[in-house]
Amino acid sequence: MQYGAAAEQAWYMPAAAMVAAGPESAVARVERLASESAVVVFSVSSCCMCHAVKRLFCGMGVHPTVHELDLDPRGRDLERALARLVGAAYSSPAPVVPVVFIGGKLVGAMDRVMAAHINGSLVPLLKEAGALWL
Amino acid sequence: MVQGEESSWRMAASTHHERAIPLNQALAYGVQAHASASVAATPPASFLDFQPAAAAAAYFGELEEALIHGAANAAGVVDPGMIRGGDVHTKSAATAGYLAARPPTLEIFPSWPTRQQQQLHSGNSQSVGSTTDSSSAQNTMPQMELVSPASIRASSEQQQQPQPGQEVMMVTTDDYSYKPGLAAASPSFQQHQLQQQPLHGGGDHDKRKLGSTRKEGKLVDAKTERRLAQNREAARKSRLRKKAYVQNLETSRVRLQQIEQELQRARSQGLLLGGCSAAGDTSSGAAVFDMEYARWLDDDSKRLTELRGGLQAHLLDTNLGLIVEECMQHYDELFQLKASLARSDVFHLLTGTWATPAERCFLWMGGFRPSDLLKILIQQLDPLTEQQMLGIYNLQQSSEQAEEALGQGLQQLHQSLADTVAAGTLNNDGPGVPNYMSLMAIALDKLANLESFYQQADNLRQQTLHQLHRILTTRQAARCFLSIGEYYRRLRALSNLWSSRPCESFIGTESVSPPGTELQTMHHQPQQNQYSGF
Repeated sequence: MQYGAAAEQAWYMPAAAMVAAGPESAVARVERLASESAVVVFSVSSCCMCHAVKRLFCGMGVHPTVHELDLDPRGRDLERALARLVGAAYSSPAPVVPVVFIGGKLVGAMDRVMAAHINGSLVPLLKEAGALWL
Repeated sequence: MVQGEESSWRMAASTHHERAIPLNQALAYGVQAHASASVAATPPASFLDFQPAAAAAAYFGELEEALIHGAANAAGVVDPGMIRGGDVHTKSAATAGYLAARPPTLEIFPSWPTRQQQQLHSGNSQSVGSTTDSSSAQNTMPQMELVSPASIRASSEQQQQPQPGQEVMMVTTDDYSYKPGLAAASPSFQQHQLQQQPLHGGGDHDKRKLGSTRKEGKLVDAKTERRLAQNREAARKSRLRKKAYVQNLETSRVRLQQIEQELQRARSQGLLLGGCSAAGDTSSGAAVFDMEYARWLDDDSKRLTELRGGLQAHLLDTNLGLIVEECMQHYDELFQLKASLARSDVFHLLTGTWATPAERCFLWMGGFRPSDLLKILIQQLDPLTEQQMLGIYNLQQSSEQAEEALGQGLQQLHQSLADTVAAGTLNNDGPGVPNYMSLMAIALDKLANLESFYQQADNLRQQTLHQLHRILTTRQAARCFLSIGEYYRRLRALSNLWSSRPCESFIGTESVSPPGTELQTMHHQPQQNQYSGF
């Protein structure tokens, strides 16, 4: 599992990152991050469901890229953007995370991932994205 | 005895009017004078000295009359008790006689009646003891210098007729004063005493013999007597009431036990479906869910019969397909019900109070474990194509992986929650200890995650069933749903049998054979599966 380089950039090169990320909207950033790896998971470090999703992928032999939103200075914006993408109301008590992108495309929250796995569509997706080899 | 006499007399004297004393003394002087006069036949000049002249004559006449009457009585009573001879006795007899003739105005000491009245009750059966007692009392009297006790005795003789009730009061008062504690506790004793009183008041004499320092001359009036009687009545009534109350409680307790047993019986038979585990635990949402679930179970049995009938009748796939679709919707309905309850009361679902005990054994996150169900079904749905086999196998594997992931997530939730709740249970005032309310707030947030885990588990179950439906043909799907339904029906029946086990003999599951020859093979295997460890 590789933890997101975006967070590191924001920490070590704040000025440059801010300048570069200034005009970039949160949604755009999300999309950018999502397309950087085969499997991208947006999570929160303390969230147990995110832990479950991570274990699921590890169990399948996949190594996703995890972005911990609580450790990101712009995590709030990202969270809001994700909420809009997923379609959940931000004000709802249920957390938005985990949100999974495979091959740059949005899969969704945990229930979508599970459904995809059960109906057998997850594995082909992973293979397509190059995260799984037979 | 003498002392007692003196003291009792003195007590009575002090309690009563002061004017009695000088009169008494005067009387004593007067009588003495008269006594001497009767012997010497001299007019009682000294007697007239203190009496007002107007009443003197009448007073003297009455005195003489009463004297004659009293002397005879006194003599009659005193004779048997004449142990000691001598002047003392004659003097006492005389004084007794003279004092017996005392006019009614001198009944100043009404509380002295007891012994004297008892002596003179000719109609009542007097025990020898009483007479001897009275006589012995009389013997002591002459030894007293003052004649007053005798005078008082005489007055009481006068009073015995008009105030018979006082005897009764006297005894009761004595009893009461002598044994205050027993007065209320032993009504029978008092009643016995009251009965004895008209006879001879022997109890009173016994007490005197025992040398009690109790005041014999205590004033007893109607008020006290009434109060005591009321106390006794109240005590009796309260005892009866208490008895009735205790009996009521006992019957209620027995009834409650019976009702509980009935409830247990009914619940075990699946009527209530383990609705209320504890009165406080069942929320309104849970109660509604239980009712809806009961309705769902009725519906379920209808579906099963339909499926059975459809398979037996070898319906066309289209028709059978409709039935299968209905089954699918039936299961979706259940997931809908559960989801709506999960928002308000997830614990009711997670702890499995809605399920029967046997179902609860196999409960995984508030429902069935998909991979377990698939293991059962694979053996039932034997005629499967390669593709179907592969599909089922993949389904089994992916559900296992998903279950594992959810399990691990839940494990982390448990760990996190435990850490939060356990934080600083020992240090009360440490610097790093979060305060109680914030701790609880954090724990509450973490607990809310349980709902999402339950939702995911239910989602997994629903997806598994849908996938099964997709993989299998119509006929196979019908058999699959029938098998699932029958399996759970048998688990519920097993729970019923288990709970009614002590009363009835155990009925083997072999007797529970479902109709339908085609399904024989399918249904024998679940029996074996039930006993294989999952």
